[in-house]
Amino acid sequence: MTHKLTRRSVAKGLAVSAVALALPAIGRAQAKSVKIAMIAPMSGPWARQGQLLRMGADLAVEDINARGGIKSLGGAKLNIIYADAGDSTEKAKNAAQRLVADNPDLVGGTGSWLSSFTLAVTEVTERAQIPWLTLSYSDAITNRGFKFVFQTSPTADWQAAQTVPTALDLAQSATGKRPTTVGLIMDNTAAPTSFAKPLREGGFEKAGLKLVVDQIYTPPLSDATPLIEKVRSAKPDFLLLLTSAMPDCKLVLEKLDEFKLSHGKIPLVGNGAPFGSPELLKTIGPELLEGMLFSVANWPMKGQEEFIERFKKKTGEPFLTQDALCGYGHPAILAEALEAGGAADKIKVAEAIRAMNLTTGPAAQCFPGPIKFDEKGRRVDVPMIFAQWQKGVPLTVFPTDLALATPVWPSV
Amino acid sequence: MSFSPAVKRQLWSIVGFAVAVLALMAFLQSDYFELVLTQVLLWAVMSLAWNILCGYSGYFSFGHAAFWGLGAYTVALGLIHFDLSPWLTIPAGAVVGGLAGALIGFPTFRLRGHYFALAMLAYPLATLYVFQWLGYQEIPLPMKREAPILYMQFADPRAYVALALGLLVVTLLISLKVENSRFGISLFAIKQNEPAAEAAGIDTWRWKMLALMLSGALAAMAGGLYAVVLLVVTPEAVFGMLVSAQALILALFGGVGSLWGPVIGAAVLVPLAEGLNAKLGDVLPGIQGVVYGVAIIAIILLAPEGVYWRIRDRFAGRLPEAVPMPAGGGAIPAMPRQVRSRMAGEDLLVLRDLGISFGGLRALDGVDLSVPEGGLYGIIGPNGAGKTTLFNVINGFLSPERGSISFAGESLVGLRPNQVCRKGIGRTFQVVRAFPRMTVLENVTAGAFVGAADDAEARYMAAAALDRVGLGARANALAGGLTNRELRLMELARALAPQPRLVLLDETLAGLGHDDLDAILGAIRQVSAQGVTVLIIEHTMQAMVQLVDHFDVLDHGRLIASGTPETVVRNSQVIEAYLGKKWAEQVAVAAK
Repeated sequence: MTHKLTRRSVAKGLAVSAVALALPAIGRAQAKSVKIAMIAPMSGPWARQGQLLRMGADLAVEDINARGGIKSLGGAKLNIIYADAGDSTEKAKNAAQRLVADNPDLVGGTGSWLSSFTLAVTEVTERAQIPWLTLSYSDAITNRGFKFVFQTSPTADWQAAQTVPTALDLAQSATGKRPTTVGLIMDNTAAPTSFAKPLREGGFEKAGLKLVVDQIYTPPLSDATPLIEKVRSAKPDFLLLLTSAMPDCKLVLEKLDEFKLSHGKIPLVGNGAPFGSPELLKTIGPELLEGMLFSVANWPMKGQEEFIERFKKKTGEPFLTQDALCGYGHPAILAEALEAGGAADKIKVAEAIRAMNLTTGPAAQCFPGPIKFDEKGRRVDVPMIFAQWQKGVPLTVFPTDLALATPVWPSV
Repeated sequence: MSFSPAVKRQLWSIVGFAVAVLALMAFLQSDYFELVLTQVLLWAVMSLAWNILCGYSGYFSFGHAAFWGLGAYTVALGLIHFDLSPWLTIPAGAVVGGLAGALIGFPTFRLRGHYFALAMLAYPLATLYVFQWLGYQEIPLPMKREAPILYMQFADPRAYVALALGLLVVTLLISLKVENSRFGISLFAIKQNEPAAEAAGIDTWRWKMLALMLSGALAAMAGGLYAVVLLVVTPEAVFGMLVSAQALILALFGGVGSLWGPVIGAAVLVPLAEGLNAKLGDVLPGIQGVVYGVAIIAIILLAPEGVYWRIRDRFAGRLPEAVPMPAGGGAIPAMPRQVRSRMAGEDLLVLRDLGISFGGLRALDGVDLSVPEGGLYGIIGPNGAGKTTLFNVINGFLSPERGSISFAGESLVGLRPNQVCRKGIGRTFQVVRAFPRMTVLENVTAGAFVGAADDAEARYMAAAALDRVGLGARANALAGGLTNRELRLMELARALAPQPRLVLLDETLAGLGHDDLDAILGAIRQVSAQGVTVLIIEHTMQAMVQLVDHFDVLDHGRLIASGTPETVVRNSQVIEAYLGKKWAEQVAVAAK
């Protein structure tokens, strides 16, 4: 009996999935519309990031169409289709190939968050000559001589080079004094290692800093006491914190608090959008995060207040982050390019992006610095953004003209 | 070259399969479907490579990603550092994979079963971190705008389908060759009973290593081509758990240990997973993984051994193949080599002061024994006397702590069982160690390789040995379906197949009914009459008294009596060992 039941339910399950497979692709082409695409991880370990990108993109398309679509194309509506990059480069590449094969009328796209996914996806889109925007900041993406890839984030190497000098500028503008000593706590995973390499190899010296605490651990960290004891005795002017796992970051912050070094007594500087994520807030809490600074490729800035409120209301997210902001910004750039190119044609769109120099408008508002790309597809004249946790919200505090709040840097 | 009908059938299947794939390739109009087809073929190669080691020998590996990844990185690093074309680096990857197989096998084959499988898990995980640490997180294969074809970069995705198909056909042919040679039979034998395989003269270590190296080489080639197709290599993508799991799941799904199982697995599961991603990934993210998992569970419930075996059992049954019998019918002269020229009666096997203990237990304690050439000697003793231990020491499963073993003047101490077998000593086991999923003839052929120059001769010798024990008519039956008597005879034939000078029979008569006993006794007498020296152990005296011409009695690891059956059964020490001291005294009194 049981066996029969199992068989039947199995058959039913298979039938259901067969029907699901047979379902026609959702999203019919509208009479007058131009089609763009987003490939992002919507399942697997990075699904949350894909979700945020998609929230931003949905809003962007809604806004563009509400403003009357692409005017130079007679008010054509922007139509965005989504594909799941999943949890592996193979899946990401398949998604791209499928998208390109099924949609010969694609004029542009964006994705795919994780740089290895972006590398795989752009191998396909480059060959199909589809202009592709990405927030991934691996240098490799724009080192391949590709013509149709545009990287809106400053590259990893550039961020590593700019974070420390910018932090010093920030300290000077806030306190009038330049820090002279620095501490470094990092894990030995890939991203922190490549970030710290140029700093160790003369970067600190060039910035006029003395490295007084230098602690590397293998994650997961079991006890932060020995690390923080070193910090307490050396008292660096600020501490560079390069952790890649949230629990490790939490341990360090708790121990700093226990040693009465938190709340900005020793300023903390991190790098990357994960330092400003709602998940971090949930795990660590606003108390311990208060005052922590991080450099980041893009963060909500002055002039976006209305959009930030609308985003929060619409999605229920506690605040806007880099992912959703870029998710919003990329369709906006494509819309500008369509507007300027005057044709629903991928080559024209790519040309328009290459010729672009935007400092105003909805697209330009989403990114620090002008929307202008060099021949590699990297943006030029981009400032390094710093955000700081203030009362449970990470707010842009530097550069001053883009800041939503005043940076807090304790006098030393 | 001539092929057996079964091999011919498989060759035609491979041709038919290749034509079908080419037709599908021509029919598919979308680059996307060509990409998925390429992936199906590549994963089929990977799964077949896994199958060569794990399906045939039964040594499961959770770590084949190590080879796949090394192949992928050989291609990627060769291209970016040395500007080497994948046309060179994919074959080079095979060498790297083969060497990695040797390096991995050397320590890991000390383990068996689950321990081996889990130890294999460590290699891709360790290499993953090594490649991360070396700074090879993301390696994009540079686009070659000049001479792209020289660098295996094609605008037409069908070129990749053709390349992957070529690799798959090569892998299928290699698998077919393995299956139908002593390589494959040795691996099957290892899978079903490794000690028996070793005792039958199969150098299990060598075949396992070769299988792992071949498997590693093929997996590395597939990984190399995968890198060319994907164009981006990251440690997670090529060394990750998913890669190892994929190889294993496809084979399990399709049918482990079969030629077509891994291909079926890849042809069903890879498009299914991709189709689910495509249709459900953006609608209900994550559900594709659930449906995929359910499909696999359903198949495992409905076809636990895999789709291939299920279909084969259902439709074809297990048709025994016609095996060409040696010409001349049953009249095959049993001709042990050299033996006849020697003087019968000369000591063939000589044990001197042999000793071994397990912890505090002295299993063998100063055993001296001489067996003359052509003799039919028996060793009896109660349970636990050390009889099987004695055989295990002679044939190399155990190493003696002291004493010497010489066979035809050569020392056997320190030799592995297969080497002992090569010297001309066959053995059977107390509990029959058959290879149940092989036919009777294959079982015996596995034992014949030692004495045969090539596979055909081994088959001939096996058939001859079966006739010698009177089992010729059952040559094509599966060993799993034999009666106890037939099993004993088959094992005897396996021991005799390479024409040994000495056979060790371990309680061959145990648990047999009256008729069966007579049949086996007859067979043993005949073997002895043909000049093969026989040493048999038993714990029941009755049958032995009828059979042997010389007795040695073993008790608590020591030989307590020796002589003709008539004298030994009257020996008071023997009676004491069997029946207790009281009984021995009574017998002694009665005798007076």
